[in-house]
Amino acid sequence: MSLAKKMHGLDTFLAYSVALEEEAAERHDELADMMDVHNNPEVAETFRKLAHYSRLHAVEIRDHSEGYSLPRIAPWDFGWENMEGPETADIGEMNYLMTTYQALKIAMGNEQRAHDFYFDISRNSPNEAVRALAGEFADEEKEHLELLEKWLENCPDPEGETAFDPDPPHMPE
Amino acid sequence: MEQSGAQISLKPKDYKSALKPVWCPGCGDFAVLNAITKALAFMELPREEVALITGIGCSSRIAAYTSLYGFHGLHGRALALASGLKAARPELTVLVAGGDGDGLSIGGNHFIHACRRNQDMTYIIMDNEVYGMTKGQASPTTAPDWADSKLTPQGTGIRPFQPAGLALTAGASFIARGFTGDPNGLAKILVSAIQHKGFSFVQALSPCPTFRPEQMQWKHHVRALEAETTSNPIEAAQRIQADGGMSTGIIFQNDYPVFRPGSAIDSGMGSIEREFEI
Repeated sequence: MSLAKKMHGLDTFLAYSVALEEEAAERHDELADMMDVHNNPEVAETFRKLAHYSRLHAVEIRDHSEGYSLPRIAPWDFGWENMEGPETADIGEMNYLMTTYQALKIAMGNEQRAHDFYFDISRNSPNEAVRALAGEFADEEKEHLELLEKWLENCPDPEGETAFDPDPPHMPE
Repeated sequence: MEQSGAQISLKPKDYKSALKPVWCPGCGDFAVLNAITKALAFMELPREEVALITGIGCSSRIAAYTSLYGFHGLHGRALALASGLKAARPELTVLVAGGDGDGLSIGGNHFIHACRRNQDMTYIIMDNEVYGMTKGQASPTTAPDWADSKLTPQGTGIRPFQPAGLALTAGASFIARGFTGDPNGLAKILVSAIQHKGFSFVQALSPCPTFRPEQMQWKHHVRALEAETTSNPIEAAQRIQADGGMSTGIIFQNDYPVFRPGSAIDSGMGSIEREFEI
């Protein structure tokens, strides 16, 4: 069953939304830390900015949640379409040599999935208030996507310029 | 460490320390850290009532990345340390973690005896089928034809251990397998493992992007166990032999007697002093 069909009330929808945004922020911080540790400050800065924006969105949704009692949902009971939330970047896609361009492409994929998640709910939730709020969130995700597209215009595409490390990593003891 | 009074609503990140992991970007061990912290937050366990004991290796650094009490011990000896801790402090939730090399090679003897002893603790092997910290040598779970190490240019030619099978034979009362590509699923398994009374063993398939980049394709091969958890060791053995090592879930669970050594401390200092009399 589509997750949208499970969104019978704002409380459930907001619980999903908060989890989605908070997990995305934490993952972006985690990725920024990875890049810091592996001396890739430019990409670390990019992920740090993305974490900041995810956190802002999470705070906004928390504000929407005032007055609601959000259900406590176990991480494994969300039933995300992928293994994690739609806006959570896959750690397996990370590489210490990645460029800002590649980081932004990953971020755009995350925002697109988040948009699709909210958009689906805006169309298919059985609850009118949920559909309306999900529509607003979908629009915001679309704005994020457009912002990332602008960032991307200022980044060189590294195609054909794969970074080379003559001393590849091991544990830096 | 803060005390538990105000810790009713700890979030997963509250179980992490401020240290940034030095694991390679893309490493599955990040997901094990996330799964552990999610499991502990779900169970609302106060941080000061949990200890995480580790051995040596990339994955064994995990204790430092948590805000739990931890002990980064000797190579292969995490289970020995944890057994002592559990005997002395039975009220603690004791987690043990390490890699396939740490747990199944130098620590292999401790592993089989911890399984049969069945003390109430949870052991997570973060299995990437390679020694990563020392730059990529074959481990006890490496396939015999893996030839990418300079030490074994034609492969080891030695059949690998089946960690789940080994645990079953040695008498473990809870055996599960998770995958780091599904940290939420792994967290759910860890909750069951921690709640289990006795020795719970969780093999976490954890790809190494640096020395085993081909493992990044595991996400296309891992699948959920088709059968329900069994308490029958014969059935469990058949499943483990047949599943190719890539199915996830709780394979086996039984209520074998839990080993709880009596504490000499309970009998007072006099009894301890008598033990040291010459």
